[in-house]
Order: sequence, then structure tokens, then C-alpha cells
Amino acid sequence: MDVRLEGLSKSFGSNQVLKSLDMTFPERRFVTLLGPSGCGKTTLLRMIAGLEKATEGAIWFGGRRVDHLSPGERNIAMVFQSYALYPTMDVAANIGYGLKVRGMAKPDRAEKVGIVAKVLEIGHLLARKPKALSGGQRQRVALGRAMVRKPDIFLMDEPLSNLDAKLRATMRGELRRFHLDLQTTSIYVTHDQLEAMTMSDLVAVMDAGVVQQFGTPEEVYDRPANLFVAGFIGSPPMNFAEVELETTGGRPVLRLAGTALPAPDHFDLAGVPPRLVLGIRPQDVSVTNPDAAGAVPGTVWMTELIGSERLIEVEIAPKLRFTAEVKSSVRCALNSRAALRLDPARIHLFDAATGRSLARQDSLPG
Amino acid sequence: MSAKTLIGRVALYALLSAITFLVCFPLVWAFFTSVKPKEEIFRWPPTLWPESWTLENYRALLEGKQAYFQAGAAAASGPPPSAFFLDWFLNSLIVTLGTTAISTIVSTLAAYSLTRFRFPGQRAVPYLALVGYMVPSIIFVFPMFLVMADLRLTDTLFSLILGYVCITLPFCMWLMWAFFRGVPIEIEEAALVDGASRLRVFWEIVLPTAWPGIIAAAIFTLIVSWNDYLFGRVFMNSMENLPLTVGVMHFFDGTHVDWGLMMASSVLMTVPMAVLFMLLQKHLVAGFGAGAVKG
Amino acid sequence: MRGFRLSDRQVGILFMLPFLVTAGAFMVWPVAEAVRLAFYSYNPLRPDDLTWVGFENFERIFDDPLFWESFSQALVWTGWSIVLQTLLGVGLAMLLHVALPGIAVFRGLLLFPYIVPTVVIALNWRWIFNSEIGIVNHALVSLGIVEQNIAWLSTPNMAMTSAVLLNVWKYTPFVIICVLARLQTIPTELYDAAKVDGARAWRRFIDITLPMLKEVLVVVIVFRTIWTFNKFEEIYLLTRGGPGTSTFNLAVYAFEEGMANLRLGVAAATGVVMIVLLLAGTVVYVRVSGFGQEEKGS
Repeated sequence: MDVRLEGLSKSFGSNQVLKSLDMTFPERRFVTLLGPSGCGKTTLLRMIAGLEKATEGAIWFGGRRVDHLSPGERNIAMVFQSYALYPTMDVAANIGYGLKVRGMAKPDRAEKVGIVAKVLEIGHLLARKPKALSGGQRQRVALGRAMVRKPDIFLMDEPLSNLDAKLRATMRGELRRFHLDLQTTSIYVTHDQLEAMTMSDLVAVMDAGVVQQFGTPEEVYDRPANLFVAGFIGSPPMNFAEVELETTGGRPVLRLAGTALPAPDHFDLAGVPPRLVLGIRPQDVSVTNPDAAGAVPGTVWMTELIGSERLIEVEIAPKLRFTAEVKSSVRCALNSRAALRLDPARIHLFDAATGRSLARQDSLPG
Repeated sequence: MSAKTLIGRVALYALLSAITFLVCFPLVWAFFTSVKPKEEIFRWPPTLWPESWTLENYRALLEGKQAYFQAGAAAASGPPPSAFFLDWFLNSLIVTLGTTAISTIVSTLAAYSLTRFRFPGQRAVPYLALVGYMVPSIIFVFPMFLVMADLRLTDTLFSLILGYVCITLPFCMWLMWAFFRGVPIEIEEAALVDGASRLRVFWEIVLPTAWPGIIAAAIFTLIVSWNDYLFGRVFMNSMENLPLTVGVMHFFDGTHVDWGLMMASSVLMTVPMAVLFMLLQKHLVAGFGAGAVKG
Repeated sequence: MRGFRLSDRQVGILFMLPFLVTAGAFMVWPVAEAVRLAFYSYNPLRPDDLTWVGFENFERIFDDPLFWESFSQALVWTGWSIVLQTLLGVGLAMLLHVALPGIAVFRGLLLFPYIVPTVVIALNWRWIFNSEIGIVNHALVSLGIVEQNIAWLSTPNMAMTSAVLLNVWKYTPFVIICVLARLQTIPTELYDAAKVDGARAWRRFIDITLPMLKEVLVVVIVFRTIWTFNKFEEIYLLTRGGPGTSTFNLAVYAFEEGMANLRLGVAAATGVVMIVLLLAGTVVYVRVSGFGQEEKGS
């Protein structure tokens, strides 16, 4: 069942947290709402759940308008950040509560709970109270509670944020696996781009109550629609610098910190303003000797080993530093001269005034 | 352990014991007095440890009514105050339990409503309740007496229950409000998503987790209504309708004071509170922590 | 869904209703009645005779030397009670805050007075402070601290002293509980940091403990001051305001005017004065503690 939002707005007093959203979550897809805290993603999820009323607009589940219905009437399931397990009930009762409320007979309930518990490998915990469970086990119970009812829509509000790093990595895989098995339309809220990238069919990047970009993980990573998305996605974050678009010898060039770089040909440069913002990911920057032609010279400001890679920060103009992610075997002395070579195919250009990406002339590979 | 810390510890224990002795002494002394025969009570210098033990004072209190009516003499002077002791005890028990039931239920419902739904003026209510809680009983008591008189309720236990509900409700409300504000709302939302109605959520999810708050509110109410004197004094007339606190002060009415009887009633009056204290000490401290307790 | 279902709004109103009815009928109304009564002459034995007298009741109490006597005695009784119970409470809480085997027993016993009915304490006090056969006098004389029995409850100064002692005995536990609760939330790292910085025990108390206790002490002192000032039962049950009128406070004054003299209007006027003082105290409290600030912020 798809989920459609029409002109959806939400205000708390004078504070508008969602600004007239129009979007469709396609059927059976796993969609992630990604954004920094306070961007409105959790509010949007809670409105889809029916826990918050919309100030304006409509929500449709398939052909059914649901925004006037209570959460219980929407046939959704939700996994909360804190798991929200019922503290006075044991695991079996927690998972079976939604069925009990719907009047399912006890033996049927026990059977369904048993099946779900087996899938989640928590069968041996059914008689325990939430207090006696570990974080990962609580997480599974919360999932079980959501899965047992065969909901139309599956909502998850940062369900992995309370787990330690190792468990989080395992659970990411499992959640993806469950989704592929169940094929239920899922909406997942997170501020962790790694979760968004690894698990989702589609990612909606949100900021300030507006969806900045809605696309596949590849799209938001390789073709960020604006400066916000470009800066938010990717780690370490993308390097940005203001550049001037000039014409030298009949060819367009970008002037970055005094160095002229040939303008990449994958952007349509006709009629764009001369002031642009260049963006390039550290992974697409390499370090070369200071006199190399076509490279941006500077001074090594800081190096950091991050395992198999090394981050090298080079000051190319006063207060302007670019980071390059290179093999750990590359070594640079602090304060030595070096130059950065930018992969021309991986350069992003944005309109400095609007922050929007320039129109591209190529299509996404693959 | 070094000698220095050992001496420090011994000194600390000694100091604590001395203070504890001072704190407990009046009640211990009341108990010793209550089990001494009359002539020993009035002996000077007093005996610290009772020389002979007797239960005559307790018997006089617990069997006083029976004894009076069995004597049949029905003296013109009327029954002695001690004949009413059991009545008073029962009155206090009824009033205390009634007040506790009403105050906790009403405050729990209202506090839940205030923390989970939107109302005009909803921020103000708990703070007004806190102000109401600071208003001393002496201000309520006379006008409330007039209200009770209008309703023809004076000299009934029900009027006392209403009076105590009024002096305990504001703080119970504040306590429960603070409690519900601290309970994560997500658990209720999970139940709503599971399809339960609001009433069902309240009954099956909220109430079972709200016990610590409810117990704190109940303890507060129990203490206030068991210990109050003023309302009983102003609202009640008939000897058989008095609460315990007002009743025992009648032991001072005669020309000479029967200290044995008095101390025995002190002990009996303290026992229910002491039992409560021992059973619920943990909750008691938690309840105090949530706010200050009236006294 | 099945069955009948209330909307959130209906549930909210339904749950509020008992509170609103009770509070309205038995709290707001009586207080309004109390204020109204302050402007009438009213004797409960002659209920039909309710006369508007304007500010006469207030003039009467302000002209009454006993009112002013009660007022100043209330100040004395409150001042001594608060100072003593705060000092004792903080001191004992510090003692009880150590991790020693068996400390829980002491904690429990020291908190006990708080739940003892005031009537019981008053009875016990009258008994142990009895001037002829009381154990306190016996102890003091046989220890050689005083030469002859003290008339604890029948001389003005000693009666006030006894009343203060009663209040201190009953409410020090309250201070202990509040301070202990706060002490337990002070992170031990703070003390470790101070030790590393070379602060000795006394300096640590002054520089870390006291500032951390400031907030709770302000709350406790203001609350206890308001309640002690208005307290009726401790004084009335112990001394009935006597000997003479030497331990009257405003509450006892109001009670005697209403109960013994049947001048409910005068009693109500005294009540209004007390409410005004109470509100002044509350304003001080709000100012000093910044109470409600966190509410505005959200």
C-alpha cells in the first residue's frame, strides 16, 4: 500500500515544523527520512502514525484517506526509539497486545506470537519482563510487536539509535532482510546516513521542515540536489569553496584559490552566474607534489590516520582547507608544501546564490 | 582499617546513636508509661524501666465501652471518654481510608488528563494546586464548616472526608502531575498504534505503571487525614463521631489527668502509622523527593 | 473498531471533571467565602444575622493588641524553629550520607517523627515536660544541670521553648530527607576533582556541598517558613496558646476568635491577612528560586 501526502503542514504555535509536503512513498519500498535533529522527520512519521494531527493537508494510504483516523484504526505498526515496551507485561503479552486488543482468541494469539518469536529468535524469552532483557533483545521484541499484526505500513523511529555500534551493524542487515521477506511499505526515520544508505530503497533528505531531495541512495550521494544534501551526506563531509567561472582561451575554467581548473563538462554552464560553489568529496581528492600542473597548491595543516585511509587537510588559501582521503601509505610532513588534485569527473557545482546544483548534462551511470 | 578511621567510625556511631535516642525517646517513654501501673507512673523519682508490667491502660481503652455498659450503672455523669476510644479509632480509620481513596482517584485522573490532553489554562492548574496546597487549613476550616452546615453534613464522617480531600487533593494532584510528566508517553503511543482505545490504554498500560506515584500520593493522604485535628474539632460535635485525634484530647477534661491512659492511646494512635512507615519507607522517601510534604 | 469509543477530548474532560467539581465546590468556594466573610459580622448561633461591616473586622484586628502579640510571637516561633531545624537537618543529613554498614537503620529511625500524629507528640511532650513528674526535669536535676524543676509549660518563655522544640523534633526529618535526596545526586567526581585540587574536607563542604544544597535549602526554608508561621495544631495542642496568650500565633488567634468568641467575620479577616502574608512569601519563593523558569523556556 502506498502512502501519499498532500500539502501536509504542521505547526506548533507559531513554529512551522513541516511546510506543505507533497510526496508519495511507493508500495513495498523501504523509505528513509534522513535529516538532522529538528528537521521535522519524526513529526512527519508521527503524523503518518496518527499520533500528531496535521495542521493542514491530507494523508492517503492507498485509496483511503486516513488523517482523521486514530492510530489504532490505520492498521500500521510502529517501532519506537525507546522501544516503548509495556513494562508490566512479559514478552509474549507485549508482542500479542495488538492482537488481544483486536479480540483475537488466546490460542490463536499464542500461535502467532510463537511464529514471530521464532523468526526473531526470541522464543526462549517469552516469559520475561522487558526489564530483564538486553538492549538487542528489547529491540527484537519491539520488532516482533510490529511484525505480528501484518500491518499495511511499517513505521520505525530511529530504532537502532540505542544499540551499540556492533549490534547496530548486525541489526541493519536483519532489518533489511525482514523487509525483503515481508515486503511491507516501510518508513524509517534516522539521522544516521549510514543506516539510510545501506537499508533504503529511497531516501528523503529533510531539513527545516522541507524535503530537500527524494531519491535512491545513489542519487542523493552522487547527485546532491543542493548544498545542504551535499554537505549532509558523506563522511568525511564534502569540501566546499567559492569559485569564479571564467573563460580562458575560449574554454571555461574555474578559479579556485588562484588556480585555474578546467570546468567539468558534465554541467550545463550556459547562462550560469559567475559565482559558484565547488564541492568535492575527500575521496575524490588526491595529494601530489607542490609543483604539479593543474593541482591546487597549499600547506599541509593536519593529517589523521583513520585505519586503512589517511585524511590529509591542506590549507589552500587563508582559512580555506580541503581534506583529501588517501591511502594510509601516503605520508606528508606537517607544514610542508603539497598540492591537491581534484578528480574533474567528480566535481559538483552549485549556484552560490540559491545553493542549488547546476543542471547536469550526463545521466547517472548504471 | 587504620586506627584513626576506626575511632572516627566509633565516634560517628556513638553520635548517631545519641541522636537517635533523643529522637525516639518520647515515643519509647510513652510506651513505658503506658505499661506501668498507676502508682508507678506517679512515683518520683520515676522508674526508667517499668518495675511491673500491666495492660490495664490498653484494656481500659479497648474494652471501655463494654465495661461501661456491662456495669449497667449508667452513671448520671455519663460514660468516661475512654469508653469511646474504639468508636474514635474506627471513625479515624473510615475517614482516612475514604479520603485516601477519593483523593488518589480524583488526582490520578485529573493529572493524567492534564499531562496528556490539551486544555486552555492547562499550565496554570498544577501551579494553582501548589498554591492551594500552601494555604493553611485554618483558613479553609470555618467557611468550609459553613458550607457543610448548608449541606447539613456537619457532625458526619462524610464532612470530614470532604474536608480532608480538599486539603490533600492539591498536593496529590501536583505529585501525580509531576509523576505522569516523567512517564514516557511512547509506551502509551505504542498501545494506541496497537489499536487500544484511550480508556483501555489508561486502564491496561498507564495504571499498572503508575503505582509508585499513586502510592506516594496515598501515603501523603493517609498521614494528613490520620493526623489532622483541626477539621475534626470544628466539624464534629457528638462524642461517638469524633476522630481519634480530637477524642483523646478529651482525656484532659477531668480534674486529674490519667497519663497511663493517655500514653496508651498515643501508642495505639501511632501504631497504624508506624506499620505504614515500615512497609512503605522506600516509597515515603520517594514521595517526599517529588515535592515537599505538608505539615 | 468495535464498541463505543471516546475521543481523546471526551476522555480528557471526563477525567478532569471530578477534580474540577471537588476543587470548585470545596476549595474555591470556601476560600471565596472566607474572603467574603471577612467583610461581614457573623455569629454561627444566629445564622440569619449576617451584616455587612466593610473593613470593620480588619480595623478591629489591627486595633487588637492580641493580634500584634500573636503576630510577633509567630515570628519568634517561626524564626527559632526554622533556624534550628535547618542547621540540625543539614548536619544530620551530612552524617547520614556516609556509606556505613547499618546506616539505613539510623536513616529510618530518624525519619520516624515525621509521620507521628501531632496530637501524639503534643501528648508526649506534655508528659515528658511535665513540671512535677516529667522525665526531662528528672534528668536535668539528677544530672545537676538545673537545681530545681523547670516549669516548662506554665511560664511564657519556657512554653515557647517547648513549642519550638516540638516543631524542631517533628520537622527536622523533613529537612534531612530533602537534603539527603539532594546530596545523593551530587556527582562524586566533583569531590574527586576538589581532592585533586587539594581541598580539605571543610573546604569541600563550603565550596561544593553548600552551593549544591542552596537550591533545595531555599525551597525547604521558604516552604517550612510559610507552614510554620501558619501552623495551628502544634501550638494549640501543646499550650492552647498559653500560659495566658503567650504562645498565640495568628492561626490560634483566628481559631479562638472563630471558635471561642464565635466571631467568624474576625476569624475570616485574620485568615485574609494570613493569605496576604502567604502570597508575599510565595512571591519571595518564586523570585529566589526562579521557579517556573523551565516552563517558560519550553
